[in-house]
Amino acid sequence: MSQGMRPRVAVDIGGTFTDVVAFDEAGGAVWAAKASTTPANFADGVIDAIHAAGIDPRTVAAFVHGTTVVINAITQRRGVKTALVTTAGFRDVLEIGRGNRPDMYNLKFHKPVPFVPRRLRFEVRERVGADGAVWAPLQIADLEEVAAACEREGVEAIAICFLHGYAHPEHEAAASAFLRERLPGVRVTASSEIAREWREFERSSTAVLNAYVQPILDGYLADLERRLREEGMAAPLFAMLSNGGTATFAAARQTPIALVESGPVAGVTGAALVGQAIADPNIIALDIGGTTAKCSLIENGEIKITTDYRLEASPRSPGYPVKSPVVDIVEIGAGGGSIAWFDAGGALRVGPLSAGADPGPACYGRGGAEPTVTDALLIAGVLDPDYFLGGRLRVDVGLARRAYESIASRLGVSIEDAAAGVIRVANEQTIDALKLISVRRGYDPRDFTLVAFGGGGPTHAGALLDELGVRRIVVPPFPGTFSAWGMLLTEPRVDRIRTRVLPLETTSEAEIERLFAESETEAREALLAQGFAAGGLSAPRRGLDMRYRGQEHTVAVPIDGALDRAALTALFHERHRQRYTFALEDTPVEIVNFRVTATAPIARPPLGTSGQKALGDPRKGGRLVRFPDAGNGAGFTERKTPIFDRERLAAGLVVDGPAIVEEPSTTTVVHPGQRLTVDDLGNLMITAMRAH
Amino acid sequence: MVSEAPRGRATGVDAFTREIIRNKLVAIAGEMGIVLARTSMSPIVYEVLDFACGITDVEARVIAQDNGLCLFTGTFKPQVESVLNRHPLSSMRPGDVYMTNGPYGGGTHTADVALVMPIFAENRVIAFGISVTHWTEIGGKVLGSLSPDSTEIFQEGLQFPQLRLYREGERNDELIALIRENVRLPAMSIGDLSAGVAAVRIAEERLHGIVARYGLDATLETFAAILAHGEAIARAALGRVPVGVYDAEETIDGDGISDDPIPVRVRVTVTPEKLIADFTGTAPQTRGPINCARGALMSACKTVFKAITAPEAPSNEGLFAPLEVIAPEGTVFTAVRPAPTGWYFEASAFATELMWKALAPILPDRLSAGSYVSLCAYYIGGVRPDGDYWVQATPQDGGWGAGDDIDGESGLIATTDGDTYNYPAEVIEHAFPLAMERNALNVAAGGGEGRRRGGFGTIREFRMLNPGGGFLLASLGRSETSPWGVAGGKPGTVNYFEVINGDGETIRGGRVTNLPLAEGDVVRVVTGNGGGWGDPRERERELVRADLADGYVSAETAREIYGFDNDERPS
Repeated sequence: MSQGMRPRVAVDIGGTFTDVVAFDEAGGAVWAAKASTTPANFADGVIDAIHAAGIDPRTVAAFVHGTTVVINAITQRRGVKTALVTTAGFRDVLEIGRGNRPDMYNLKFHKPVPFVPRRLRFEVRERVGADGAVWAPLQIADLEEVAAACEREGVEAIAICFLHGYAHPEHEAAASAFLRERLPGVRVTASSEIAREWREFERSSTAVLNAYVQPILDGYLADLERRLREEGMAAPLFAMLSNGGTATFAAARQTPIALVESGPVAGVTGAALVGQAIADPNIIALDIGGTTAKCSLIENGEIKITTDYRLEASPRSPGYPVKSPVVDIVEIGAGGGSIAWFDAGGALRVGPLSAGADPGPACYGRGGAEPTVTDALLIAGVLDPDYFLGGRLRVDVGLARRAYESIASRLGVSIEDAAAGVIRVANEQTIDALKLISVRRGYDPRDFTLVAFGGGGPTHAGALLDELGVRRIVVPPFPGTFSAWGMLLTEPRVDRIRTRVLPLETTSEAEIERLFAESETEAREALLAQGFAAGGLSAPRRGLDMRYRGQEHTVAVPIDGALDRAALTALFHERHRQRYTFALEDTPVEIVNFRVTATAPIARPPLGTSGQKALGDPRKGGRLVRFPDAGNGAGFTERKTPIFDRERLAAGLVVDGPAIVEEPSTTTVVHPGQRLTVDDLGNLMITAMRAH
Repeated sequence: MVSEAPRGRATGVDAFTREIIRNKLVAIAGEMGIVLARTSMSPIVYEVLDFACGITDVEARVIAQDNGLCLFTGTFKPQVESVLNRHPLSSMRPGDVYMTNGPYGGGTHTADVALVMPIFAENRVIAFGISVTHWTEIGGKVLGSLSPDSTEIFQEGLQFPQLRLYREGERNDELIALIRENVRLPAMSIGDLSAGVAAVRIAEERLHGIVARYGLDATLETFAAILAHGEAIARAALGRVPVGVYDAEETIDGDGISDDPIPVRVRVTVTPEKLIADFTGTAPQTRGPINCARGALMSACKTVFKAITAPEAPSNEGLFAPLEVIAPEGTVFTAVRPAPTGWYFEASAFATELMWKALAPILPDRLSAGSYVSLCAYYIGGVRPDGDYWVQATPQDGGWGAGDDIDGESGLIATTDGDTYNYPAEVIEHAFPLAMERNALNVAAGGGEGRRRGGFGTIREFRMLNPGGGFLLASLGRSETSPWGVAGGKPGTVNYFEVINGDGETIRGGRVTNLPLAEGDVVRVVTGNGGGWGDPRERERELVRADLADGYVSAETAREIYGFDNDERPS
């Protein structure tokens, strides 16, 4: 770092490493560094990483932080003793949930255990109707008993969820004001402060989880802030939110549940920005790590947000609903550590069980003996044993081969064929996941660019190009620290999603405008409260969740122009047809949710590393690599393949596959029949050579 | 020549390609389900997931299935066979879609409409796409089509005897006109029909994609491999079930017409090769509509068989190869024309219950004590002041039995269903003129005490807000005979409804048709608590103390049944 720099700094804490990426707003330089993650006190690793990057904390212009503190506190059950206050008659809703059995043939099925036991779930008399009208006023006297019981039980946080609280938040607000006043030191969360959508179980669950982790995140961010200030950092501090935006530490501490996916979503934000830079607004983001592959679709530059997120959900468990906006990411158990195995019926399977980081794949030599995808990539020659993590980790191909012996002998094939077969199965699972978010939701992959990152994304992406049929693949700079990079560029953002069920036919355009304006005012005020100037905010974006009367599920419709009812109806029919192949033109349409997104734009760095020219011969050697043959990929051919050093690739370089590009954090594979082009921004672009 | 026998070994296609195609077939069934659930117009489909879809081979054997309910576990094969019996393969053309809802033809009740689409490759049928959708309305005696007091199928709405809805992609609009004219909620019914068609068309499109990429031989070999693989898993698992003969008896509490108890029984014989469920001795079919026909009986038996052998495996016909079901014609489990089957899930639930009860003592790792069993479905509806019909139809979750190692689960949907969601108060109150006044665990009823205790049923209360009132229609089984305990565990409690009118009078019952409700009346539906496992006096004291603190047991129960010393109570 040189004199006079004012870097913007992003720090992402992962399981093993804490990544830092910095961008000098004045000079445009971008650089990255790593330090070991320090679980005992994460702040140590953050400060180490900042030092490792050679950053003087006093010069930092802005600091953005992604953290797993919230999700870890929940999954490890390290939150605080939490109570729940509900409308009279409904304290058991949290335990009953939706009553569903996703694991249908398990006749000893059990639901996830509620975070608040029955003895700490209290009822108060009050009632509001679906339209927000008060049926029965709030009985403050009931709250006095609740407060006394909470005091007696040593409760540290309280969640409040009243029926139709999304339509009439006043009762929840009055109850929380009373409890905050009566129980200083106890954190209180009203459901309507976090979610203004219907469904009482889901909203209760969200409020409870928020309350449960609030003191934890509070303590963590307060400590980190203190440490950074001690280091002389005067910059504003931002936390990465699950909605693909950021908020100041102060705002984040109010709604910790909004940080539940802080971190993973930044990769999607980064992919959207790559799309912007290459003038392609339709992006499929693919992040392959050690245990999972994550993918997300970006349409027209717009990241998709869901409020149907369920924590710890699986085909065996309904999980815990979180009705806080989260970037819509589909995750499957197909990463580098995924294990190949035979099931009870003798069929070969890959994942979801993973060797993880410890013991890790067999080739690590740390006691893992199961054959993993990473071992297969070593056997196939795709990965270089002498340049694993840039040479930081010694791996042993012999151990990888030994792990594959049992599969090879059971199937009567060579070790090489067994390894290549496992790579195929893993790739096809990833293709199925990518199709789930694209084709199955009515999108044509040919309209999309695949942005691949994470340690494994660039390695596997090339094999998906043909079958998926995307336009091209882009491997951006910093693919291994892409989440931190994405964070660096993420804007402060507030989403407001509010349920108001209205028949479109009979609702006036003025009423729709009024409801949007109300949410917009709220969203803008939330940003102003974080210290942004009114003049610096961009125009809020609008959307409606709509459905045919009688339907339950809604379709999200972005609203661009006027609120003309005929136009809205037509937009909805079109979206419904895209998603479900048909429209019911004669059926009345309903609005269910109003969505508003407000952002405060920031200066963004140009992509690319500085001085990407004339760096000498980019070729560092060659090796034999097994590639699948064209067609359905069942055959393989070993090919002599040149190896390139990414740090020495000049803009404008064109290489025909097969080729491999290595950098410390990942290996990019260009298959035969594919062409690699390095663009002006330092992106690796991979396209099919045959004409489409 | 491709071998399609379930035990045939696939040889031409490598293990990796087979795994890839298998994953894709499972994904197709899942995608059909997504399309169907999200496009349906009926709440019972999109919230209750009362549907199923999948792919069978040309011989009607299930290759991949996605079902929201256990009730559809065994119906695809007989349903596709019923289509093949009326329309030989040679008469079928690409783009055809056939429609059947006959209970005696492998189906369930008239409201469940199956659509079957032959899928062609190289000029022959290679598979069938099938979707089954519960229509909220299919005509008949009452709104919602399922009257608890029907005495013959003709009162239960339209019957579609394997009709050809589409011929080479062309819809038979006369059939559509006939449906529109004969149902009370035509927009909903036609919407459900469209959703079902969209599902089978997705199956065709995706299967064509697989054949195009991997070839027809590899695809058909994978079908055979899937069946062989399923059978291998089932046989391996069956080998761990103790060989023996196990009997169980149960009572169905009334058929909707009469309250007379209906005795049912099973003898389960486990050999190293087979599991035989013999229902001989079960009562004859009843006048009321709680009968099921053979397709639903197969679902009931397959549900338990899968639960004890391969609960997590994706469904296919091979998994059930070692299961044999014996039942004479004309019983409450094998009803024949013209017996009504509107509430067939009540009998089907008891077929499951019988096998479960017979096997629970020898398979405690898979099976718990007795649960509330009945789906406890009810309809509250009426006519709005503007003349529109409305009906809120829902099953209710209840208490499940204790396991030998864990307390029973509370508020869980019955075995007949699956990933079925209850309705939030906030959604109900938007859609219907009802106020939900309570959604609570049925802790006050007690029951199910044991070393491990049964889970709790639920209590839901609805106040009728519709000017002019409406009606209640309910079929709650297990309203007299309690869920069973195991090894000294106490029995659970029964299901019932109550209607409380403005004068404070209460009517209580189990099954009722069109009980009038006045504006302001309250309907209370209470589901039972599950049975206990083991002697309650052996329950760990800290667990009893926790149950007291949580209000799960009363001080009296703790003292009298658990033998809990008052002095041990927490301060």
